[in-house]
This record gives sequence, C-alpha cells and structure tokens, in this order.
Amino acid sequence: MNMLGKVLEHYQLVASVIFVIGVVGFLARRNVLVQLMSIELMLNAVNLALVAFNRAHGEDMNGQVFAFFIIAVAAAEVAVGLAIILNFFRLRSTVDADAADSLKH
Amino acid sequence: MSAELIMALSPFLAVGGGALLLMLAEAFGAPAPAAGKAPDAGSGRSGELALGAAVILIGGALLSAASWAAGPSTTGEAAKVAPHLLLDNYTLFFCFTLCIGGAITALLAGGYQPEHRIDRGEFFPLLLLSTLGAMALAAAGDLLTLFVALETMSLGVYAMCGLRRGSVRAAEAALKYFLLGSFAAALMLFGFALLYGATGHMDLAGIGEAVKSIGAAESTVSAPMVIVGLVLTLVGLAFKVSAVPFHMWTPDAYEGAPTPTSTYMAIAVKSAAFAVMLRVLLTGFGDERLMSWGTGWPPAVALMAVLTMFVGNVVAGRQESVKRMLAYSSIAHAGYAMVGIVAAMRSEAAESSVLFYLLVYTVSTAGAFGALILCGSRGAEAVSYDDLAGLGKRHPAAALAFSLFILSLLGMPPTGGFFAKFYVFQSAMDAGLYPLVVIGVLNSALGAYYYLKVLVYMYFREPLPGAPVAVPMRSGMVGAALVLSAIMVLVLGISPGFSFEMALSAALPR
Repeated sequence: MNMLGKVLEHYQLVASVIFVIGVVGFLARRNVLVQLMSIELMLNAVNLALVAFNRAHGEDMNGQVFAFFIIAVAAAEVAVGLAIILNFFRLRSTVDADAADSLKH
Repeated sequence: MSAELIMALSPFLAVGGGALLLMLAEAFGAPAPAAGKAPDAGSGRSGELALGAAVILIGGALLSAASWAAGPSTTGEAAKVAPHLLLDNYTLFFCFTLCIGGAITALLAGGYQPEHRIDRGEFFPLLLLSTLGAMALAAAGDLLTLFVALETMSLGVYAMCGLRRGSVRAAEAALKYFLLGSFAAALMLFGFALLYGATGHMDLAGIGEAVKSIGAAESTVSAPMVIVGLVLTLVGLAFKVSAVPFHMWTPDAYEGAPTPTSTYMAIAVKSAAFAVMLRVLLTGFGDERLMSWGTGWPPAVALMAVLTMFVGNVVAGRQESVKRMLAYSSIAHAGYAMVGIVAAMRSEAAESSVLFYLLVYTVSTAGAFGALILCGSRGAEAVSYDDLAGLGKRHPAAALAFSLFILSLLGMPPTGGFFAKFYVFQSAMDAGLYPLVVIGVLNSALGAYYYLKVLVYMYFREPLPGAPVAVPMRSGMVGAALVLSAIMVLVLGISPGFSFEMALSAALPR
C-alpha cells in the first residue's frame, strides 16, 4: 500500500504539472488554436489524475469511466470549437485572440 | 422501465424526444435552399419549428408539474436512477423554470429569426437539447452526470451563439464564450478529479459523507485536496453564473449573440448553473464546519456576491447599449441570488428564496429581452437608449411591456421582482447577515439609475431629429412570449404565496 501511495504521488505530480502547463498556455498564448490545445492538455491531465486515483480506490471503475466520458465529450467540444474558430477565421483572416475586439465599450 | 419511472422521467423524455423529432422535421421537411441566397437565410421555417419547440417545452413544464403532483419520486422505482439523476422536488422545480424559460426563448426566436433573416431551423433542436442538458444539470447527483449535463447544455449554446455566421460580432461572441466556457469546464474537471482522489466517491452524497469524516481518527481523506477541489469546482460554476471576477465573457457574449440566444444564456444557463451550485454546496459540502462562517465556503461566496453586485450595477450604469446594460444587469442579479446562497448556510428558507428568485428572474429577464426584440425590426434594431426615445408615444403597447419587465428587474411592487428580492433579503436578515443585506439594498438603489433611464427615454424623450428610429416589429409569437412572461411576472408579484410554498417544499433536505 505504501508503494502504491508513492507511485500515486508521482502520477499526481505529473498530472498537476501538465494541468498547470495547460492553464499557463491558455492564459499566455494569444493564438486561439494554441489556446484550444492548452484546454485539451488540461483535460488530459484530468484523465491521467482520474485513472491514477481509480487505481487507489480500486473497488469501482468510476474514475476510468469518467476518463472515457471526458475523452468523448472533449471530441464533441473540439468539433464545435473548431467550427467557431473557422468561422472567425473566415471573417477576420486571423486566429489571434486579440483580433476579437469589436465588442468593446 | 416501470410506469413510475417513466412518469418521474417524463419531463426529460418529452424534451429529449421532442428535440429528436424537431431535428428530423428540420432535416427532412426543409425545402432545398435556393442558390444565391445569403448564407444565413436558412430554410425559412422558423415559425413552425418555434411553435413546435414551444409546445414541447410547455409540455415539459406541465409534465414537471404533473410529476410534482404525483408525489416525490426519491423512493421506489425512480430512485434506481439515483445518484445519477435525483428526481426530487428540487429538480422538478428547476425543470419547470427551465422549460418555461426555454419556451419563451423559442417563441422569441420564432419572431426574431424571420425578421432578421437568420431563418435557420437548427436553432430549435439545439435549444431543446440545451434545455435537456440544463434540466439534467439541475438533477445531477454525481460528478459524472454533472459534467456531461453541463457540456450538453454548453455545446448547444456555443452553437446558438454563433448562429449568425456572417457577422463578425456573433463570431467573436461565440469564440469568447466557447474559449472561456471550456477553460472553466477544464478547471472544474480537475477539481472533480481531486475530489474523487480525496474521497473515493463520485456521488455528491458520498463526497458529503467523506468530507464530514475529515478530522476523525480513522479518516484517510486529505483535507487540502478537498479544499483545492472545492475551490476549482466553485470557480468553474462561478464562470457559468457569471459571478465577478469570472464575468469577463458575459457582456461580450450577450451583446454579440442573436438576442434570443442572449435571453437563453441569461435565463436558462444561469438558473441551471445556480441549481447545481446550490446542490453541490449543500449536499457535497453541507457539513457543519464547511457551512460555518469561519471555516467554510460562505465567506468566499459572500465576497463574490458583493463584488458581483457592485461591478454589475456600476458598470451597467455606464452602458450606452441597452442589450449590454441588460447583460450587466444579469450579472448584478447573479449577485443578489448569491446572497441567498450564503444565507442558505443557516436556513432552508433562504434556499427556497433563491429558487423563487430564479423563477422570477427567468420570466422578468426573458420579458425584458423580449421587449427589446419587439422594439426593433429588420435594419432598425433597437440597441441604444436613443433608439427607445419617444417609444411611449409611438408604440404604447411595446413601451408598456418593456416598462413592466424593467420594473420587475428593479424590484418594484406589484411585480414579482419585488417579492424575489424581499424573500432573499429577508432570509439573509434571518441568517444574521446584515452587512450583506445593506449592500444588497444599496445596490438595488444603484440599479434604479439605469433601469429608470429606460423609462425616461421611452416616455420623456423625443428622438433626435434625423436620427434613425427603431420600428417595432409585428409578430404574434413575440407577443405571445411577452404575454406569457407578463402574466407570470404579475401573478408572482400579486400572489407570491403559492409559488413560494412550492419553493419551500422544493428545498433540499438537510
């Protein structure tokens, strides 16, 4: 059990690092596509954490099932997101988030 | 499935099945788009589809009322779907609110879309599926359902937001809403992962039990993980209810989106997010320590409530666009509702006051946006205050409707808005939160400035010579939506007792 705890800690650390990279990427980069990729990175960090925690709470498969749901929903989300970005690109010929400035007061 | 289970699930089945039917009707019944038409012109059948959607949603509301009357379904057959869907009175109350809000939106879109030549039928299946997600969100009893329902609701709204493909402003609104919405969802998911890791439970009740055991000798639950998980979850939900400081997307998204979509975002998305926020906080973190002022979430929520009220009201006063003003006003209203959430730590009545508040807020805001839609027509959409100048003389009916909803948002008797604010502040008083009540009342007074400005422009100003004049549109559907909202605003204002009793019996068990 101690061994498992140790390994779990490592997974937790990796997941947190990936998650923070995603958050920083989302906040710091101004390219909308990179921002979308950063969100995907955050979701993958969540998947990793969930599957690792599932190992610790082995009696059910809730964590793994959740990870599958996240993968599926993320795919749907990307489909809608890319459509929105494509439409934005068609109108403005750029994917720079700072170009989205026509709504201001 | 037994009859009991079908009865309990009937609002969900009606809305979900209706969405599939409308999708088929939209796909197979539409005439092929003629060549050379504008890309957003669509099939030109919004009217029929809107009527269908409104009938389905009102059916959903009636079925919610019917299964309420049939008795609570937390036991027996219907409990089999727990904890994924909790079919208690709380859920049914929100199903009713959300279905009414969705039906009003459908009627508004049925008038707005042909008028502004974005006659696209896909709006209505999206609306129904989003409403289904919102209802499931209110019913969610575990983190998995919560996530899937939240995304079902949001994905539909992202698409509805960018419906007008040729408009830069709509594209921007959809982009901002999508990016910040998915970012918030990802933050919340990491919070979920931590909560699951700390407690080993996905269902809110199980998390609540595990959280209660923190500090006990044999407990293995890690308190820091639970706290970080709670904070991330709260941040994600605060984005959805557009609480300050997570509100940045709200004015832009509301302003750029087609007005019916703004309406929907302001009423249904916000109500559903509040529903799940209350349930997560009270069921998952309803432990005595976590609900006390010194060691729990109430100070954080109270701080957000104060910031939300002040920022919403102060910035709303500085807007020139009425639509943007209504967006900030919806932020301010989220602040008032959060006062009720803070008070819910001490009393059940406070929780019911939030439920009642959201019902009144839904019909008043839907009406106000609807009146704004009614005041404009193709090429002459009412946007700024100047567009409303002299409307009281030119089009008394439209002006009267607008005034009624504005007064309700302001909180004047005899409209529902008065009792909504009254109950929330009353319950906060009972909970001993005097500073919050004082700030809330002060903010209501601040709000009077920009709400009354609408009335002043409509009744006491004349349009500037030569300025373009907003011409009210003619649409039976928008009229019907306004009549429905007006009746509800007045009924909730003149005899709030019945609905408040309902809200009282919908409160979550402690």
